[in-house]
Amino acid sequence: MTQAGDIKKQYKKRTLFQETWRRLVKNRGAMLGLAFLVLLVVAAALSPVIFDYEKDVIGQNMQDRLMGPGAAHWFGTDEYGRDLFARVIYGARYSLIIGVGSVLLGLVVGTILGSQAGFHGGVVDSIIMRGIDIFYSIPNIMTAVVIVSLLGPSTVNLMIALAFSCASSFARIVRASVMTIRDQEYVESSYAMGLPTWKIIVKHILPNCLSPIIVQITLLIGTTIISASSLSFLGIGVPAPAPEWGALLSAGRSHIRDASYMCIIPGLAIMFTVLALNLLGDGLRDALDPKLKK
Amino acid sequence: MADELVLDIKNLVVHYETEDADVHAVNGIDIAIGKKRTLGLVGETGAGKTTTALSILNLVPNPPGVIKSGEIYLEGKNVLEMTPAELEKMRGNDVAMIFQDPMTALNPVMTVGDQIGESIAIHQNLSKKEAFEKAKEMLKMVGIAESRVHDYPHQFSGGMKQRVVIAIALACSPQLLIADEPTTALDVTIQAQVLELMKQLIRDKEMSMLMITHDLGVVAEVCEDVAVMYAGRIVEKGTADDVFNHMRHPYTEGLFDSLPNLKQRGEELVPIKGLMPDPSDLPPGCAFAPRCPYASESCTKAVPELTAVDGSATHFVACSAYNNPEFKLRGSKDGR
Repeated sequence: MTQAGDIKKQYKKRTLFQETWRRLVKNRGAMLGLAFLVLLVVAAALSPVIFDYEKDVIGQNMQDRLMGPGAAHWFGTDEYGRDLFARVIYGARYSLIIGVGSVLLGLVVGTILGSQAGFHGGVVDSIIMRGIDIFYSIPNIMTAVVIVSLLGPSTVNLMIALAFSCASSFARIVRASVMTIRDQEYVESSYAMGLPTWKIIVKHILPNCLSPIIVQITLLIGTTIISASSLSFLGIGVPAPAPEWGALLSAGRSHIRDASYMCIIPGLAIMFTVLALNLLGDGLRDALDPKLKK
Repeated sequence: MADELVLDIKNLVVHYETEDADVHAVNGIDIAIGKKRTLGLVGETGAGKTTTALSILNLVPNPPGVIKSGEIYLEGKNVLEMTPAELEKMRGNDVAMIFQDPMTALNPVMTVGDQIGESIAIHQNLSKKEAFEKAKEMLKMVGIAESRVHDYPHQFSGGMKQRVVIAIALACSPQLLIADEPTTALDVTIQAQVLELMKQLIRDKEMSMLMITHDLGVVAEVCEDVAVMYAGRIVEKGTADDVFNHMRHPYTEGLFDSLPNLKQRGEELVPIKGLMPDPSDLPPGCAFAPRCPYASESCTKAVPELTAVDGSATHFVACSAYNNPEFKLRGSKDGR
C-alpha cells in the first residue's frame, strides 16, 4: 500500500504548458530573452509612475541639451535637453504596444483566413491565398506607408497598417498546419460524432496548430517593432513628440557626429528587444516540439 | 431477418471521380441490419467496406466521392436526403462510428474526459459539467479508472485508447454502431479483450452493429449475420452459420482456404490467385471471374444477381455457376 502511494507521488501530472515551461527553463538563451522582456515590460508599465510625461519625457530643458551619458542623465539628453533614459523607457510602451497590438490583430485576421483556406481548400483556398500572395509581393513598408497615408498618422492606424503584413504570414502558417491536421482521423471522427464544422475547426484543428503560431507570434513581434520604428524614422509613424524608438533614432540622425549616443542608445534598445524576442521564439520552438531539436 | 430494420441500404453506388479515373468503389449493394443484430461486412482491402460505412453517415469525402444512387434508411429515414442540421443530429446520436486506428482517432491536445463529454454535451443538451460527469461513467463502463478522466491520449496504451474510442461512440447510446476494423491495429490479446467488451456493451445497450473487418475470426466471434464483399459488390450474405458452414461463393471459399488450419499446421495455405481488380477498371460480368477456379465463359457476360440459396430466407449468393443445379464447390480443405 505504501509502495503504491510512493509511486503515485512520483507520477507527476504535467499539462502541456508545464511541460513546455520545464523545457524552456533549460534553454539559457530563451530565459535571458524572457528576463530582458519581463524587465522591459515592467519598466514600460511603470514608466508613467516613475516619469512625469509632460515634464520628463516631452518637457524641453534647453540648458541640459546634448549632454552625454552620465550620472545625472544615464543615457544623456537630446537636442531639447530631454532625458533620453526617460524617453527610451517611455518609448518601450509605444514599441511594445504597437508590436503586440498589430501582431494580435494580424493573428486574429490571419487565423480566420488561413483556417478557412486550409480547411475548405479548392476555390476558397485559391481566392484567399492568391489575395495574400499579392499582399506579400508588395514590400511591407510600402503597404504600411499607403495605409498610414490613407488613414492619417496615429498609433492605432500604425498598428492596423502593420497588422496587414502579420495577417498574411499568420494565414500562411495556419493554412499549412490546418491542411495537415484536417485529414487526421480524429477530425473525421468528430464529424462522425455530429460536431458542426466551426466547432471542429475551433476545438480540434486550431489547438493542434498552436505551436507554430506561438513561435510565429514571438518572432513577428520583433519584426513588427522594427517595421514600426522604420515608419517612425520615416516620419509617418507615431506623431512627435511621442518618444517612439524609431522617432528617437530619426531625431538623433542630425547629431550622429557630435552626439552619436542619440542614435546608438535607441538603436540598441530596438536591437536588444528584437534579439530577446527571437531568442525566446527559438527557445519556444524547441520547447514545443522537442523532436525538431538537433 | 427481423421485421424492424435499423439500417436498410438499397442499391448503393459510390464512385470516386478523379481527373485520371472513375473509381467504382461501391457498385450497388443491399444491406439490412435488424434490431439488436450484428452484421459482419467482410472483404479484402479496397473492396469498398469503409466507403459503405462512410456513406451511412453521409461522410463520403466529396470531392472526389460521389454517391451515385441508392437509398440508405436509418430507422425509416433516408440519410441521403437529410439536411446538414439533421445529419449533425443523427451523427453520433443515432449512429456512431469506431475508427480503425485508435492511435490517431483521439485528439492529442484534449483530455479523454473532454472528448467523451463533447458528443454528450451536443446531443443531450447537457452542460459541460454534467457531460463530464457522464464521461466519467462511460470511462468506468469500458473498464478504465475514473481518475484517468483528466489524462491525455498519449498517456494511454493502444488498447485503452480503443476503449476510450468505444466510450465516445457509445456515449449517446446510438441505435447503430459502425465499427471499422476496430481491432486491426491492436495485438491479439488486446483484440480479444476489446471484442469481448464490445459484445457485452452491445448486448447491454441493445444496439445493432455493423462490423467491418477482414478478419474472419473476428466475424465468427462477434457477428450473427455476415456479408462478403468483393470489388464493391456483395457476393454472399447470410447468417454466420450459412456463410461459415455452408458457403456457396467461390470467393468465400477462397477466403477460408487462405486461413491457416490449426489442426494441421504443416498444411500449405491455399491463396486466392491474382489480385483484386482495379476498381477504376472492373472486368465485365462477375468481378471475381478472372481469379475464380470455377469460372466459365458465361461468368464474364453478366453480373450475377444475389439469389437465395435453395430457397433459404437468409442465405444469398451471387454466382452464375449455380444456374447449373449440379454445381458444387470442391471444398479443397477438410474440416469445414
